[in-house]
Amino acid sequence: MRELPNEFAAARGLAVCHVCGLASPVSAGQCPRCRAGIHLRNRESLQRTWAFTIASVLLYFPANLLPILRVESIAGPQSSTIISGVIQFWHEEDYPVAIIIFVASVMIPILKIIAIVCLCLAAGAGWRPRGMTRLYRVTEFVGRWSMVDVFVVAILVGVVQLGSTISIHPGAGAVSFAAVVVLTMFAAMSFDPRLIWDAAAARAQPAHQD
Amino acid sequence: MPELDEGEKAVCPRCVGVLFTRGRNSLHRTAACAMASAVLFVVANSFPFLTLRAGFRESQMLLWQSATGLAAEGYPYLAAAVSVLIVGAPALLIGGLLYVVMPLLWERRLPGAIPLCRWVLHARRWNMMEVFLLGVLVSLLKLGSLATLMLGTSFWAFLALIICLTAALASIHPRELWEHIDQAHR
Repeated sequence: MRELPNEFAAARGLAVCHVCGLASPVSAGQCPRCRAGIHLRNRESLQRTWAFTIASVLLYFPANLLPILRVESIAGPQSSTIISGVIQFWHEEDYPVAIIIFVASVMIPILKIIAIVCLCLAAGAGWRPRGMTRLYRVTEFVGRWSMVDVFVVAILVGVVQLGSTISIHPGAGAVSFAAVVVLTMFAAMSFDPRLIWDAAAARAQPAHQD
Repeated sequence: MPELDEGEKAVCPRCVGVLFTRGRNSLHRTAACAMASAVLFVVANSFPFLTLRAGFRESQMLLWQSATGLAAEGYPYLAAAVSVLIVGAPALLIGGLLYVVMPLLWERRLPGAIPLCRWVLHARRWNMMEVFLLGVLVSLLKLGSLATLMLGTSFWAFLALIICLTAALASIHPRELWEHIDQAHR
């Protein structure tokens, strides 16, 4: 951790518990109120965030290339990927749905991964801390909505059961996609936005300590 | 950290994030909403969620069958994830809130309330019922041409459950909850 100016509690060995918000000495090792482990910043924050982000980038490809759903109806079997689902809604002139799915399943995962990479870089350089913190809050909030496509698969598979004229089966893309969403959530959880402020503070007061 | 009166909030001077709020009658509101959520959770999980009609055939799906259907198709991990997100996390939230908050109304704390409260706070982000709701709406449109889907009793309970559970969690700031737990005696 970087050295902080003295007006910060961290410089005096105090940390706020990340679970219950009580400030107590870091040396205690455990929060006296809720008994969660206590540390100044999330442990190995950047390393963990990078690891989760890289894993989600790798899984992003199968998530989009493999089919998430296979429909067998009288018209014959038909596989659909995330993108082809969006295109189908667009062709059926369900524009609002097409846009919702496109935003939730295509744009949000990509933007979230880009945002987390930006945050990691900002934590190293101390860029624009206020804007970056806002970006972090938005990132944490919107990520969950990407799960919508996985739920659509679950609902369709669950409701269309054997014996109908149509049958619906999940595809391997759905697993990868769910993994991308969960991994990016873990990445956002392990990132500590205070690192950006630490870097900014260190840059504003180079080599000034007492 | 400033002492707040009911209805006030504290804001971080550095990043302008909300640090702490103190609502009016927050414990009572949370307890009431959590009790309502518990009833709705039982209803939402015991009646048909969706009914599919294709030709003369009809099939019904309970809420948790959206997860077991995936397991039956050979996707156990996906099934586990879906059941955690729409059944497991909400159950932990509701049960945990009731166990922690109800005794606090009498300024008491049951054994294990502290670790349970930690779990409840973590479970918040894994509760994705509102995302599932959007999934239901998309599914209705997706199947539109192939079959007819009808919303069951459980769907409406599920909708009300989302509102009640959100209200239960929004009524109390975690920090205030921890202060109450700290002051309660065993």
